[in-house]
Amino acid sequence: MDLQVLKIIVGDKPLPEGFLRQTEVIKFADTNHVLGQMAHQYRREKSPGLADAFKNAKLRSRHDHIMLHFEMERVARALTNSGIKAVVLKGGAYVARGLTASRGRRVSDLDILVASDQLDVTEKLLEAAGWATDEQTDNPYDQQYYREHMHELPPLRHKTRGTIVDVHHSLLPKTARHQVNVSEMMSCAEHLDEEGLWSFQMMDIFIHSAVHAFVDGQLDVPVRTLVELNLLFADLSDTDRDGIVDRAKALGATKAVGLALWSIGRLFAHNQARESSIRLVPAHRHLPLKYALLSKAADNAFSPMAKAFLYVRGHFLRMPFYLLVPHLVRKAVRWRPGQNLPHELPTP
Amino acid sequence: MSAPLQQFDSKDLKQALKAGTFTMSLGPFAHLVSGSSDALLDFLEDTYRDYNVDLQPRDVTEIVLSLKAPNFVRRFVRRQITPDPGFDVPAVPLPLRMAPLAFEMGLNLSVALKCCRLMTIHAGVVADEKGAIVMSAASGGGKSTLTAALMAEGYRLFSDEFALVDLENASLHPYPRPISLKQQSIPVVRDIVGSDQISDLITGTPKGDIAYCRVKKSDLSADNQTSHAKLILFPRFEEGVSPVARMLNPAEAIMRLIPASTNYNLLGEPAFNAVVKLARNARAYEISYGSTAQSLRLISELGG
Repeated sequence: MDLQVLKIIVGDKPLPEGFLRQTEVIKFADTNHVLGQMAHQYRREKSPGLADAFKNAKLRSRHDHIMLHFEMERVARALTNSGIKAVVLKGGAYVARGLTASRGRRVSDLDILVASDQLDVTEKLLEAAGWATDEQTDNPYDQQYYREHMHELPPLRHKTRGTIVDVHHSLLPKTARHQVNVSEMMSCAEHLDEEGLWSFQMMDIFIHSAVHAFVDGQLDVPVRTLVELNLLFADLSDTDRDGIVDRAKALGATKAVGLALWSIGRLFAHNQARESSIRLVPAHRHLPLKYALLSKAADNAFSPMAKAFLYVRGHFLRMPFYLLVPHLVRKAVRWRPGQNLPHELPTP
Repeated sequence: MSAPLQQFDSKDLKQALKAGTFTMSLGPFAHLVSGSSDALLDFLEDTYRDYNVDLQPRDVTEIVLSLKAPNFVRRFVRRQITPDPGFDVPAVPLPLRMAPLAFEMGLNLSVALKCCRLMTIHAGVVADEKGAIVMSAASGGGKSTLTAALMAEGYRLFSDEFALVDLENASLHPYPRPISLKQQSIPVVRDIVGSDQISDLITGTPKGDIAYCRVKKSDLSADNQTSHAKLILFPRFEEGVSPVARMLNPAEAIMRLIPASTNYNLLGEPAFNAVVKLARNARAYEISYGSTAQSLRLISELGG
């Protein structure tokens, strides 16, 4: 689909004429996990069918947010008096802070970050509160792989509620090519009084989102990521927007933030983002990468190529070859046809 | 404008299905369907011939079902079909001749996972002028057979799959899609309703043999007339058992209806209030029986 659709989703452009094309936009937004965000941005007159789709999307995200607040409260309770500073990351932080990016966003699990020397204690306390290693990763290889090479523990699933907590001790895998100054980000974290937990300061929330999108993995949910970066940037104060370039440089996130600002500038015609991006990543740099990112989001004729490129790049960034090759072989040997088919119905 | 499907030319229907503009409106939902297989068109022209359809959508809808080959090769070699409702589904690709099953499964999944305006409970529902009977049973519990038998007795069919409960007043909304019959229930229902009311048999599906029972025209034209539940039944078919009914108090009925709902957790409080209202204003029974005739007698004794 034409990426102009992103402007429609954030409410910068009106919906196309005709119910068929409108239904296509709604379906695109839904498949790409941004229908709820769209529902909150969209205030023009609506047909009954459109109003219904938006109302449903808001209901779904409301359900997620209630669940998330509950889980945050439980995590905070589990860590009470331990002196652990747990920083809520990503969706959890947006919801806890009531950011524009959280409105209508679906959230399925809670990500927290703790200092690496507090990782073991955190795990023990959460286990005492009912979380346990998820069945899928409860094998020696996955356990060892996560603990030795990754930036998070294997996912913990609550034994009765089934909800998942990802405990991070860093923002990027230990083996990754890029690293950001996590301890500096943690020391600037702000207290979320309501939850007894912490979150990054606004500027760092944006920077983490950029890092997660552009120097980690393969941009798994491209449309949501791009819409979200735009909403997060819109939520920054003027001072934060002026300071973002220097902060990105100081934290070692030049490339990620440069690419993020470039994407927003280009997709949402945001001049300030475009100007700042040039100060981090010159306009002519990383062109194949930039267009691969857009192509993956557009899901057009070039996206299979873009996906393949980003897949290889994602793995290249995550770990050196001497670790990657045995890991992929291992995954391939364990793979069975159909094993990734979902076993349960997805939640509405 | 919308008209019964059989008034349209096959060529136009085929084109609309191919272009993804084919729309079927029924009860509270509009379904936008695409698919280019003849097996699908044949099924629709037969089993859905009296349903109101359109060649263009009349509003935005969230129920968008596309029936297509799982991959390029399967469009030509040992052709297959899978339902794609726009989200990941646990659907196995089926041989093309099972297109009706793919269509019905796809629509059921879409409704179960997309509908938030009404509480959805997995149950069969029929009604007469005095009120509706809600029948909730596990798969294979005899729910569809019973629903079809009651329909043949003159009850209006609401649905054999979903009780759609209004969140304001707990009234039930009709959604009369064809009744899906499995295995041994096919000959039983054929004897009751007559073989011209049953679609061709589809053999060897993952659910065994399957056939679809057509819906009466009058039920289709009454698809916006809601009703209130008078009876809630939890039927259990067991070979050779003598018929028995055990009355349940509302709390028991509620605790059994909640796990059968696909969107109770999502909706939360409004769904709780609706199901409480539903159970309080109806009588609830668990019934066991060994034959369809027994179950019909039992239901009429209970005031059905």
